[in-house]
Amino acid sequence: MWKDLGDREAGKLRPYSFSNRITSDRIASLQLSNYKEIVSPHRGAVNSLQVDLTEGRYLLSGASDASAAVYDIQRATEYEGGSLVAKHKSIFVVDKQHEHGHKYAISSAIWYPIDTGLFITGSYDHYINVWDTNTTQVVVNFKMPGKIYRTAMSSLATAHMLIAAGTEDVQVRLCDIASGAFAHTLSGHRDGVMTVEWSTSSEWVLVTGGCDGAIRFWDIRRAGCFLVLDQSQSQLGRRPPLLERSAANKAPMSKSLPASQSVNVRPRAPQKKFAYGNGSKQSATGRTSSQAKGLVRQRLHPGMLSSQDRATAHYGAVTGLKVTDDGMYLLSAGSDSRLRLWDIVSGCNTLVNFETVRLQASKAMQLAITNDSALVFVPCMTAVKAFDVWSGKTAMTFRGHYEYVNCCWLSLQDQELYTGGNDRQILVWSPSRLNFDEVDHGSRKEPIHAQDQDNWSD
Amino acid sequence: MEAIPGPSTARKRRRDEENVPESEDYDEALSLEQSLTFSDTLVALRIMRAQFPQIEKVSVQPFILRSQLYSSVKDRTQVDRELESLRRDKVLRIFKLNTGQDDHAIMFMDDYLNQIERVIKRMAAKKQDELAVFEWFKTHVITSKLEPSIEHQELCSLLSFGGNVKDEHISLLINAGLLTRQLIDPNMYWFAIPNIGSLLKGLSQGRKELLSFLNRRRYREMMLAPLEKKRLRLSPLDMRFHLRDLIGSGHVKTVHTPTGLVVRVSKD
Repeated sequence: MWKDLGDREAGKLRPYSFSNRITSDRIASLQLSNYKEIVSPHRGAVNSLQVDLTEGRYLLSGASDASAAVYDIQRATEYEGGSLVAKHKSIFVVDKQHEHGHKYAISSAIWYPIDTGLFITGSYDHYINVWDTNTTQVVVNFKMPGKIYRTAMSSLATAHMLIAAGTEDVQVRLCDIASGAFAHTLSGHRDGVMTVEWSTSSEWVLVTGGCDGAIRFWDIRRAGCFLVLDQSQSQLGRRPPLLERSAANKAPMSKSLPASQSVNVRPRAPQKKFAYGNGSKQSATGRTSSQAKGLVRQRLHPGMLSSQDRATAHYGAVTGLKVTDDGMYLLSAGSDSRLRLWDIVSGCNTLVNFETVRLQASKAMQLAITNDSALVFVPCMTAVKAFDVWSGKTAMTFRGHYEYVNCCWLSLQDQELYTGGNDRQILVWSPSRLNFDEVDHGSRKEPIHAQDQDNWSD
Repeated sequence: MEAIPGPSTARKRRRDEENVPESEDYDEALSLEQSLTFSDTLVALRIMRAQFPQIEKVSVQPFILRSQLYSSVKDRTQVDRELESLRRDKVLRIFKLNTGQDDHAIMFMDDYLNQIERVIKRMAAKKQDELAVFEWFKTHVITSKLEPSIEHQELCSLLSFGGNVKDEHISLLINAGLLTRQLIDPNMYWFAIPNIGSLLKGLSQGRKELLSFLNRRRYREMMLAPLEKKRLRLSPLDMRFHLRDLIGSGHVKTVHTPTGLVVRVSKD
């Protein structure tokens, strides 16, 4: 590492590649932390974890006993083990005793993406509460028609502050914090919606995965979804750099493709509008004749034609979704114990086989991905496995929980992984660190490496 | 590739456990220990097709399960991609089975067409009229629709290239076992292999029997060589078939020991 530092000083190594090298080395050495511990006040399974996006300092967790807690992960509340292990207790907990607290399990707890002044919790008691962090009071709440499985807010949004909620109802609802009302209702799924994620490349694109096994992409500025992922549409690996312009629009017309056609499409931004009807006219297959042959279809709004598309992305329910940071690929986990990597622009399955044996089928799970999209962390039953994204091989396995793991979050700032499971624990996995002063300074109250030397004032 | 040698002509040449020699004449391996992994998907498919057990009562052409391929070729992504390109080239067909969440059976196109021929003969023997629909199915539907499922409208439109389609034709196809309705969606059908029902029952029962046998042992493991010689009571398929399937689906794993391979139940 010192040689690399010298190279960077001299200009032989670029700064970005230097920092990427260090972060990937640290991530490759993740193990159960021996110097950091989070004391979980929850008395139920931990369902959701998130570190705030602005500072990377506060961890928010939501649990099945209707409690949500916030921890400061950078400064410990106390030290023990001869000042070697930092324990982080929660800064505050809101639970059933709180006057506006949830009554049933909290399935999803997320920070307001702009700052840590607000956080949003969604629960099985059909309510979404927006809390003010400093006063721990509920500011706004929204009532939904069913149990809420997941809530999400776009971290890129500058023009809206909509909470997307996936519930056991077939419609995805968007709630507006500014007005306190429901802004949109997105219909198209045929069963409950278990996961919702906003796109990382556009503030208007939402991805939802349902219990019917379908993954739909919605542009919230217009009706209907513009893309339904079909697992039989596949491409072999990454798209080739030079794309041929093909006549047929690939993604929504999954049924109309002749088998030997190659799967290259024109690159198009997800928001771009194309009418469903145009696609069928351009494709030169027998499909058009069948459409003319007397299918009695209701005259639907062109945007709603996608509700008739029954393509499935998984053979069971979709339990987890994660969009990569560059917005080009999507990882989805299903209750058929398969993890699939999708190319978003072409809408195809890249056929990467991740060696998952069993995945939890009844609950939604959170996946985590490194920012260079090299490794994806997936909770597989009682362990968390890290897979290489493009080859599908298992890179690391993290066994520490006593029961099923529900959620994991990778904090990119410190390269630490936080996992929460049904055993009510939140475990921290951090890069290995040598304890130098174990022998000499056992009596010191705070170890040297935890003392913040800059933290002084006159 | 040469014609695959039958079991009676197997030569006794010892073979390296890991690689199959890429030369043109290859052994039909007698023991699983020697032929657990292959280098190429097509090679694995052909060898496993040749090793398909002979079953007296049921006449089914050889098929291979996807999980068996995963146990034989190291890189699963490569398996998926090669299967996809072989499927697009119409060399083989993939069928979704109803035993378990993610079970798929792979059959070579010629074998599948032979199977359909047998079905047609059996239906003709029962003096069914309207056998033309099978011809329409073979010429129009199988050649153009390569996915494992098909929608009702598309099925009717493809069949109508041959003639006038009526509902009785579709019921005939379902009775013959070539199509099955999907449970989730009344409008979609799965393509199916006819006459395979008893084998599928044997498959799921054999899996359970093998897993419970291993689970009852003290350390939940057994040496591969003696295990392979055992016969399963409830399944007409042989032990090698089931072992490959369970290793590929991850329920069981093989461990190298100084005395040979050991098969152990994996706990996750």
